[in-house]
Amino acid sequence: MLEHDVLVIGAGLAGMRAAIAARAGGATTAIISKVHPVRSHSNAAQGGINAALTDRGDEWEDHAYDTVKGSDFLGDQDAIEVMCKAAGQALIDMEHFGVTFNRDDEGRLGTRAFGGQRRARTFFVGDFTGQALLHVMFEQLIKSGVRRYEEWFVSSLIIEEGKVCGVMALEIRTGQVYAIRAKKVIFCTGGFGRVFEPSTNALICTGDGTALAYNAGAELMDMEMVQYHPTTLAGSGVLISEAARGEGAYLLDKDGNRFMEKYAPNMMELASRDVVSRAEQTEINAGNGVDGCVFLDCRHLGEALIMEKLSQIREIGIDLVGHDMIKEPIPIRPGMHYAMGGIRTNVDGETNLEGVYAAGECACVSVHGGNRLGANSLLDTIVFGERSGNHAAETSRDAEFVEFNVEESVRNEEKRLQGFLDRPQNGDRIASVRLAMGESMNRNLAVYRNEEGMKATLAELKEIEKRYETVPVDNKGKLFNTDLVFALELGFMLDCATPIAMSALDRKDSRGAQARTDYPDRDDENWMKHLVIKKGAAGPELSYAPVSITQWTPEERKY
Amino acid sequence: MDVTLNIRRFDPEAANPEPYWEEFTVSIEDNGTVLDALIKVREDNDGSFSLRCSCRSSICGSCAMRINGHAGLACKTQAATAIIDGKITVEPAGNMPVMKDLVVNFDTFWDKIMEVEPYLKPEGTEPEAEYIASNESMLHLSDVTSCIMCGACFSDCTVLEVDPSFLGPAALAKAYRFTADPRDGNEKGVSKDRLEELTKPSGMWDCTRCMECVQACPKGVAPMDRIMAMRDQAMEAGFTNTNGARHTEAFSESVGHSGWLDELRLVPKSVGMTNVSALIGYAPIAIQALTHGKMPPIIHKKLPDAKNVKKIFDKVEKPLERD
Amino acid sequence: MKYAFFPGCVSRGGCPELYPATKLICEKLGIELQEMPAASCTGAGVLQEKNELLGDTLNARTFAMAEALDLPILTICSTCQGVMSQANHRLKNPEYLAKVNEYLAEEGLEYKGNARPKHLLWVLVEDIGVDKIVELITRPLAGMRMAPFYGCYIVRPTDALEFEDNPGRETALEKIIETIGATVVDFAGKTRCCGFPILTINEKNSMAMVGNHTSEAKDLGADAMITPCPLCHLNLDSFQPKAAAQAGRPIELPILHMPQAIGLAMGLSPKEMGLQRHIVSTKPLLTKIGAGV
Repeated sequence: MLEHDVLVIGAGLAGMRAAIAARAGGATTAIISKVHPVRSHSNAAQGGINAALTDRGDEWEDHAYDTVKGSDFLGDQDAIEVMCKAAGQALIDMEHFGVTFNRDDEGRLGTRAFGGQRRARTFFVGDFTGQALLHVMFEQLIKSGVRRYEEWFVSSLIIEEGKVCGVMALEIRTGQVYAIRAKKVIFCTGGFGRVFEPSTNALICTGDGTALAYNAGAELMDMEMVQYHPTTLAGSGVLISEAARGEGAYLLDKDGNRFMEKYAPNMMELASRDVVSRAEQTEINAGNGVDGCVFLDCRHLGEALIMEKLSQIREIGIDLVGHDMIKEPIPIRPGMHYAMGGIRTNVDGETNLEGVYAAGECACVSVHGGNRLGANSLLDTIVFGERSGNHAAETSRDAEFVEFNVEESVRNEEKRLQGFLDRPQNGDRIASVRLAMGESMNRNLAVYRNEEGMKATLAELKEIEKRYETVPVDNKGKLFNTDLVFALELGFMLDCATPIAMSALDRKDSRGAQARTDYPDRDDENWMKHLVIKKGAAGPELSYAPVSITQWTPEERKY
Repeated sequence: MDVTLNIRRFDPEAANPEPYWEEFTVSIEDNGTVLDALIKVREDNDGSFSLRCSCRSSICGSCAMRINGHAGLACKTQAATAIIDGKITVEPAGNMPVMKDLVVNFDTFWDKIMEVEPYLKPEGTEPEAEYIASNESMLHLSDVTSCIMCGACFSDCTVLEVDPSFLGPAALAKAYRFTADPRDGNEKGVSKDRLEELTKPSGMWDCTRCMECVQACPKGVAPMDRIMAMRDQAMEAGFTNTNGARHTEAFSESVGHSGWLDELRLVPKSVGMTNVSALIGYAPIAIQALTHGKMPPIIHKKLPDAKNVKKIFDKVEKPLERD
Repeated sequence: MKYAFFPGCVSRGGCPELYPATKLICEKLGIELQEMPAASCTGAGVLQEKNELLGDTLNARTFAMAEALDLPILTICSTCQGVMSQANHRLKNPEYLAKVNEYLAEEGLEYKGNARPKHLLWVLVEDIGVDKIVELITRPLAGMRMAPFYGCYIVRPTDALEFEDNPGRETALEKIIETIGATVVDFAGKTRCCGFPILTINEKNSMAMVGNHTSEAKDLGADAMITPCPLCHLNLDSFQPKAAAQAGRPIELPILHMPQAIGLAMGLSPKEMGLQRHIVSTKPLLTKIGAGV
């Protein structure tokens, strides 16, 4: 019988941090991931991690205020305080683990400027900070002795009477289905980028945990808050880091003008991401772009700086679109990037389901509110990963495994999965159904939204869900059946899509990443609240939750 | 643009599982990558075609495979430039057993990574704040920490091809990432224990310097160069009782002294001048060489102006301070 | 055409047949070779592992000597070629070049950065042109099946070896084989490692490499293997018997230096080419092409 006190689902930064913490807290801990841990999408974070270090005259309250403002005042200030207070230690912990952070002339940790931060407090490793952190975290995971289920896919969450029992998992290599018992389950499954097309996200970002939790009765929050990153490549949607702008790059229209002057005269290119994306989209819509893009210009930064601090994104520009940023501007446009919303948790990662936690991008604490500042996500994963792991370990001490019929569960799950393989071959292909969903979401739930568009997408989603019922799985075998995994992932993606669209339609104001042309203003009187969505008997049920306000009164947001 | 892929496939669940070639022609963007084409094959033509891929931007390391015979990342390879005689040949990565199509078993790869204890091991007390370290030392490490564990180097390593016990380029490069980290090891940043382990057989001295790993690496890690740097670290730390260290020292002495290589004396010096059994082992070949006129000259003459070479050796090799 | 000649250490040591064979075919092709007697060993990658700066300085010294003669450098060893190209690649950095020149100043030398050392293989295919070889062929090796073995250092890394600007380098040896009238035996090991660098460190692996590549070529019907690297030649020829013993099978594949193969096709005698020095007998091949002994 596979059983652990704490089971972490997802081995990105949040998941591995949680597992390490849980193990250190004395719990028998395991981590399960559908890809090898170092393939996780935390890898793709490029710019850096924020922290206010007091020994250089920075204050966590300043960082917190920048974050609150960046969230367009939808972020829960108590959670933001927790995160910003913990940031300094989290950063030092990572350095002690071995991360090869950039240094200043005195050999101390060095910083760069970043979006929405009034002072430079973003610590970095070149332009591949996420990869650097992820690999070091994996090293520490190996050292910790946590049991690893690598290339295992969680297909169901087992809940009995509102309490978590464990998960059903498919060992991808062999095709065997297993039940894994756990007293506490921590979802660290990342975002749902593939619900949109294009997206900066990897192919594995399919909202698995968000959907699993939602289907089991967990509350999701702020699902309408989907971040469109200002600098993504046309076509693939691959990310070009904010670090470029942090080092001084300009955004130009087709005539070479720095158009951010009109929208954020103080912070210019380093205003919060939603402000910049909207600015770009407005310029593109007005015909000031080329082929749906504006331009990121790094030429004035010089070859030496680019090679030292931005070499990875330079390679991406050359490899994927044939432009060398040392010599020419790169065409970019806003692209879907990050989910501010997700599984609703408190500051210890607890959800409304007993024994179920969430941390990282899949969670909504909320520290990012309506818009996430760059370099706050890496911080989020480490702080709340650790807190969830600690809390889960502590509470597992006096907890019991919840009993359930393991054999029956396994047999039922095997039957369910076999059902996919047994489908006739004449349905729409998985990829085409996903594309239909992705294009609809990108059309109507992007930078600018309106009622008509969102209703259209909701209707399309219903039709797409029907098509999903009959997508065939080509591979009828057991060993390494990625086709089956894709079919299951598509189901999870669809489970996320409707809550996103429904929440966006319900929120009748513009705030953070949500910009509605039919409700263009921020309406604090009526909409200074979180949207909560829960699976009910008759479909998704919307409700509201207050925003925690501790120190900072909401005000107009200008950059 | 249309591209034709010739893919080496394998279905472990077939009646008589044998690798076989299958061709597919798909349509992608003009600046599309080989990965774009492979994904199209999977999405539109045959969902049973399996490969690992995720980020599409050379950072997750999932899509390492052999393209036209050489290992690399599919997402980093432009399809247009990969076409040879009308098609792109795609095979699974080498030196690892094939599980299905392009999916290989990475267990031995990871075992070797684990063997080098791939986590920081600082000796002494941990500071409260960050360790002080120069930006130069951190930047130097950024080449080797760029490693995304994709396995391309492992795939094409010529030593692993004949000797699966070799630690391999990825594990050795990872080891260097620690031996070169000023925070790892003693107060001077010297990781003696690691270096000692790695000088043992199947470790750093077994690399044959063929540069396949340097060529294959999509992230500029240049594993072979790291292995060479580690050899120097090991010798500096006093681990000189290996044929490899003796070979390098003898080579260096020979060139410094005479300007060129004294081949004849290199062999016995490498195995150890008192290593009678090894020396006897070379006797048959030595005799053959003698009778065929292939014996290097017994009297090794210095080159003209050899003293200038010696001067350069002395100037460049000034004892370096270890910090 | 005149070149500053860099023969490397092994062609004057363990492979003394290479040096005269080279001179003879160069004479016929009108390639004039100006010796640089004081030019040191390139370091062969071994010296570089101890001290890369030292290796680069020694090579910059050789480049400076050639510049002083106002002649391009010609090498006859894949390893020399690769090591020189890699050094030259690093010396493109002006600060690094200045630092290295500091060490050369005392001898009155300065490397200006213009050297482009070329292996005879590339000189033939790029500078001289294979047509010139064809004109001189009196004994085309028709019906002979030859397996090319490049040697790691002349095929990797491709950026230092400037393959992108000179795409012909990737298949230059096959071109030579075809030019002299023989048929190319394509095999997986042609750009792999002969194992010479680990000969004294891990003999078993070294012999396994020799055994694998020569067996593969032999089993595909090769009459001979041809290589532009004397270090590879040492391993593939002198140590072939040992490799065969380890593999538990006979191999008996003659290994030719590239100039020897060209020389034979030009009608030069096996004795002139130094074939009697080889450990693995070339008699079967010579009989086939009617070159006697």
